[in-house]
Amino acid sequence: MNSLKPWLTRFGLVIALVVIGAALAIAKPVFLTVPNLINVVRQISINGILAVGVTYVLLTGGVDLSLGSLVALTGVVAAGFAHPGEYPVFVPVLLGVLAGTACGAVNGVVVTKGRVAPFIVTLGMMTVARGLALVISGGRPVSNLSAEFNWIGNGPVPIIILLVVALVSWIFLANLKLGRYLYAVGGNENAARASGINVDAVKVFAYTVCGSLAGLAGVVLASRITTGQPNAGFGYELDAIAAVVIGGTSLSGGVGGVGGTILGALLMGVINNGLDLLNVSSYYQQIVKGIIIVGAVWLDRRKEKS
Amino acid sequence: MKRLIALALVLALCGCGRQEPGAKPITIGVTLLNLSNEFIVMLHQAMEAKAKELGVKLIVNDAQRSAERQVQQVESFIAQKVDAIILNPCEVEASSPAVDKALAAGIPIVNVNSETRTAPTAFVGSRDEESGRIAMDYLAKRLNGQGNIVMMHGFMGQAAQIKRDQGAREILAKQPVLKLLADQTAEWDRAKAMSLMENWIQSLGPKINAVFAQNDEMAMGALLALEQAKLKDKVIVAGVDAIADALQAVRAGRLDATVFQDARGQGSGAVEVAVKIIKKQPFEKQVFIPFQLVTKENVGQYLK
Repeated sequence: MNSLKPWLTRFGLVIALVVIGAALAIAKPVFLTVPNLINVVRQISINGILAVGVTYVLLTGGVDLSLGSLVALTGVVAAGFAHPGEYPVFVPVLLGVLAGTACGAVNGVVVTKGRVAPFIVTLGMMTVARGLALVISGGRPVSNLSAEFNWIGNGPVPIIILLVVALVSWIFLANLKLGRYLYAVGGNENAARASGINVDAVKVFAYTVCGSLAGLAGVVLASRITTGQPNAGFGYELDAIAAVVIGGTSLSGGVGGVGGTILGALLMGVINNGLDLLNVSSYYQQIVKGIIIVGAVWLDRRKEKS
Repeated sequence: MKRLIALALVLALCGCGRQEPGAKPITIGVTLLNLSNEFIVMLHQAMEAKAKELGVKLIVNDAQRSAERQVQQVESFIAQKVDAIILNPCEVEASSPAVDKALAAGIPIVNVNSETRTAPTAFVGSRDEESGRIAMDYLAKRLNGQGNIVMMHGFMGQAAQIKRDQGAREILAKQPVLKLLADQTAEWDRAKAMSLMENWIQSLGPKINAVFAQNDEMAMGALLALEQAKLKDKVIVAGVDAIADALQAVRAGRLDATVFQDARGQGSGAVEVAVKIIKKQPFEKQVFIPFQLVTKENVGQYLK
């Protein structure tokens, strides 16, 4: 149960969350109300889905910088098929997710078969996908979406989607053979290969899952804001990778898991929500955010050493 | 490679041909801030339409938000010896060298939509302060001068954010019982604005009487959050830009108001002025295209 470990070793992160939560609850009692907490979880749902996806890739020692662009591309694709009275709602959802899956698979194949560094491959995909989103949409937001489609991003739905994604991934990474292989490949690629693991296939799988989940996040975002926007998702990849790393997954692979990732996303969401509730000025928000994140991780890693 | 050389030769020959007097059509180099922005796309379409009407040729480059790229594009226009340049500046300071270089090369340059520190040959655009003033004035009137307003900023430090903020605050300063309850950036982004509004609903809730968003994307985000919380009937929302989505929302009675920035007027105006300069006809050095308030009463004329 390697992926249970992050939960336990992420104790420092839990403490940081509790301390920040308590401070916010005292300063702004409204923070601890149910509607607000539901808000926080809904607001992290998109970053959370992306972060779970990129956890797969980071575990293998790779990276995916194309997430933000994939969110835009898949959102535009889905929105294009989500106009009222055209197709049943599963069509745009499926096509959005499949568009992400395809891009993720391309990332994986080029990384493994082409032997190009993941940073470069996914950087290329970042601009290609952004370009495709602009081409498909003609540079304009795709709006006038059906009520059924807009239902996906609102109310409890995004929260449920995030929970299902996180739970399935947690079980998968902790207990299934393929899940364990991801750790093995990230931990020591040569040893994994020597022990008979098809390293390339494992990596392609990781990028493909990551792409699919980016597609899902794109669908949820398009639904939440009721348009597919070619400009959406700028910088989302960094927020997602930040959540994973805050949650204790190593950037060099092999260590970490989904539990920590969700904690990381939660911490970022609580900080965003708290600073808005306290009406901290826009300039200071960024400074405070940076300090709290680094501080929380510092506290967490100190705990780990002792 | 051979084909490339052949293509280059053909282009070079065309280039030479164009420089001969007589058959030479007027050519204008256009560098645009960012063709993935809906407003700029509209600006571009208006320019093309006007150019076709006047029989002039446009070379259109997209600076993709990079002032450095924009300066390079202007340099290449100078090298191509265009008759005039239309600059849709990325930044006040950083795009200024583009204006300097064009003027030094003796090529007239017309700024469209926003300004640069160096004064160009002519300017066609709108005063962004005015849009903030119009929107806030509308909210003040709807609230009969008393109540609480929240404001969503664009990217902090961008010219449009600074000026729309300034215009809005001019009105607020004249309204002693109208209070700015909170203001925060949502970076022109609909998803961020939606989260911000949800958080405000939690912390300020029923105290909010009106929302001024510095663009329509954010206004739509605020609107969605208010509708989800079933508070829209108690809160007035106004945005700026009159994007298609916002106009639809105004018509449906969901969004209360937006402020129309005339992309067509600015785009065709810029081409018109550039052609006048080339033909040595009299022209106005500064053309201000006014903003217009759009509400349910007059939205029909903007929906086309």
